[in-house]
Amino acid sequence: MSDDSKIKINHLEGEKIRHFKSLSGLEYKRIYDQNDWSGALPDAGEYPFIRGVHQDMYRGRLWTRRQQSGFGSPEESNDLIKYLLGIGQTGINMDADVGTKLGLDPDYPLAQGDVGLQGTSLCTYEDMKALFKDIPLDKVSSTLIIQPPCSAIIMAQYLLMAKEQGVPWEKLIGTIMNCAFTQLVGPTFQANTAFFPIDLQVKIALDVMEFLLPRAPRWNIINVNSRNIRETGVDAVQEVAFVLSLACDYIQGLLDRGLGIDVFAPRMAFFSAVHMDLFEEVAKFRAMRRVWARILKERFGAKNPKSMWCRVAVQTSALPLSAQEPMNNIVRSCIQTLAAVLAGTQSIHTTAYDEAYCLPTEEAQKLAIRTQQIIAYETGVMKSVDPLGGSYLVETLTDEIEERIWELMKVIEGKGGFIRCFKDGWVEEQLNEARYRMADAIEAGEQSIVGVNVFRQEGQDTEIEIFQQAPDMQAKRIEYVRQYKRSRDQEPVRKALDFLYETVRHRPEASLMEPVTKAVVARATLQEICDAMRAACDFKIPA
Amino acid sequence: MPKKRIILAKVGLDSHDNGLRIIARWLMDRGYEVIYAGVYNSPEGVVKTAVQENVHAIGVSFLGGGHLFYADKLLRLMKENGVADVALIAGGVIPPRDVEKMKGMGVAAVFTPGTKRDVILQTVDDLLERPRNS
Repeated sequence: MSDDSKIKINHLEGEKIRHFKSLSGLEYKRIYDQNDWSGALPDAGEYPFIRGVHQDMYRGRLWTRRQQSGFGSPEESNDLIKYLLGIGQTGINMDADVGTKLGLDPDYPLAQGDVGLQGTSLCTYEDMKALFKDIPLDKVSSTLIIQPPCSAIIMAQYLLMAKEQGVPWEKLIGTIMNCAFTQLVGPTFQANTAFFPIDLQVKIALDVMEFLLPRAPRWNIINVNSRNIRETGVDAVQEVAFVLSLACDYIQGLLDRGLGIDVFAPRMAFFSAVHMDLFEEVAKFRAMRRVWARILKERFGAKNPKSMWCRVAVQTSALPLSAQEPMNNIVRSCIQTLAAVLAGTQSIHTTAYDEAYCLPTEEAQKLAIRTQQIIAYETGVMKSVDPLGGSYLVETLTDEIEERIWELMKVIEGKGGFIRCFKDGWVEEQLNEARYRMADAIEAGEQSIVGVNVFRQEGQDTEIEIFQQAPDMQAKRIEYVRQYKRSRDQEPVRKALDFLYETVRHRPEASLMEPVTKAVVARATLQEICDAMRAACDFKIPA
Repeated sequence: MPKKRIILAKVGLDSHDNGLRIIARWLMDRGYEVIYAGVYNSPEGVVKTAVQENVHAIGVSFLGGGHLFYADKLLRLMKENGVADVALIAGGVIPPRDVEKMKGMGVAAVFTPGTKRDVILQTVDDLLERPRNS
């Protein structure tokens, strides 16, 4: 291991870093002055919202502390949610396991080894009620991290549960992720299309949005997901250009259904990553707000300023987190969280330091929340709005990034939009290139990760407490769903699934929210509902 | 000398394959023949391909925590199908205590995140140096 330390230090010369490029390849100048940027900025809360979507920003209300939670059974996840709320989390962020996200029950052979690992296992209406037991749905806002087709099922369950709790839908506050392009780890195209037809996923996303708008007016109908795009390794410009192009496709879909832009745009939001390059990330979010506002106003003719708000939930990026010296990750996620705050984002998940190993322990979750609380309550960085606004550096970067975002969006538009590019394989090519580029940059030391490719100490592994699942959790979940399917009243299930099948098969224009809700009420499981829709399209899934 | 063959696969539903793709490229550059099976493989399918293609090693990677479940299943299937002498190599987000457990079960090598390219390639070279059945 002769090349462990890529940075060779000569203490007489002083320590030097290798280059002055940003993480996304922009060149940082030696110093910035009025020759780079001189201008006036609009107030926060004023178009195009570069300084923030609200006039008072965190002075009026702090960002939401929203740690993703979910593992094992819904009962275990309910305990975790209560624990997190108890230590100061201010919003629920429900994450489902990968089987649930792909529309598979725990007893499906290919799903069995992943039950409850990366999120909670949900397959029945009773699971949903167990997950939200004792949680008043009108008092806490919930983000449900689930994509179509299952977003329709989980949303139907949530609404049914609210009805049972006696909470009117108008009072529900929260977000359904509902973005058809979230399964972006891995072979992007395959991951998004192997378990459900992609066009039907997009259609169901639109069905869910259209259903919610008049019925749950405070509910966010989609979180267009760019975090999962960024986490493949693309740069900040690609992240924003891709996600805003995708959002434009969703907007067009809703416009094509005859909905007015100002009816739905205020209920759309984004889910983004925050990486390590602090100024670049702040500039990214400021540029993203300005681009989005202009698109909404100029291209889509929005009149309501709220339609032009680019509201962003973030999760700090896990890419720079290292398994070596895991405590270093506390520092990394703290800096990323600070960047998210300086950038004026709406809700933050601070990724826990042990996530380079496993799901976070309670202790690591708590530390993540405390990180946010220390930034909020001790540093004072939230006391003025857009504190970096007017900085020659940050304004120059914001302009540069914005310009590149527009350029790339034009390229995507020229190819027929994001969804077209995705189906044509172009998106996957871009992501794969970025993946290799990042691996090479880390291997070659162009992108430094302390303790990994610089200042690495072999044989100095830090042992940390690691989260452990209950050993019989998976077997129990598998047995639970088998038992559930045996012991219910079968006739209503069959009828409801037939109705769903017929609707997909013969009435392709009809919204699927009604037949999906009927199937949920009849106690069909998540996979049974998905399977009925798959069968109606003659769609086969990997076995 | 014919190239040594390695099948690389993700099993189950965890599709985090960044690492595996990069390993595939490194191994090919090193002169190995890589059969890249991609994501969503069943352990049965991986072992079947391993038998059919007469591979020298099976490489699997995990991020979601399914490593013990699938290592156990793969090793059992390899024995049942008469390819227990093929090296099972694992990589990914695997906690230290499970690395030891997996080696004890019979996994030939386990690479955790941040392992250098040279270390991985050298280990694979050494493992496949010996002829099969030795």
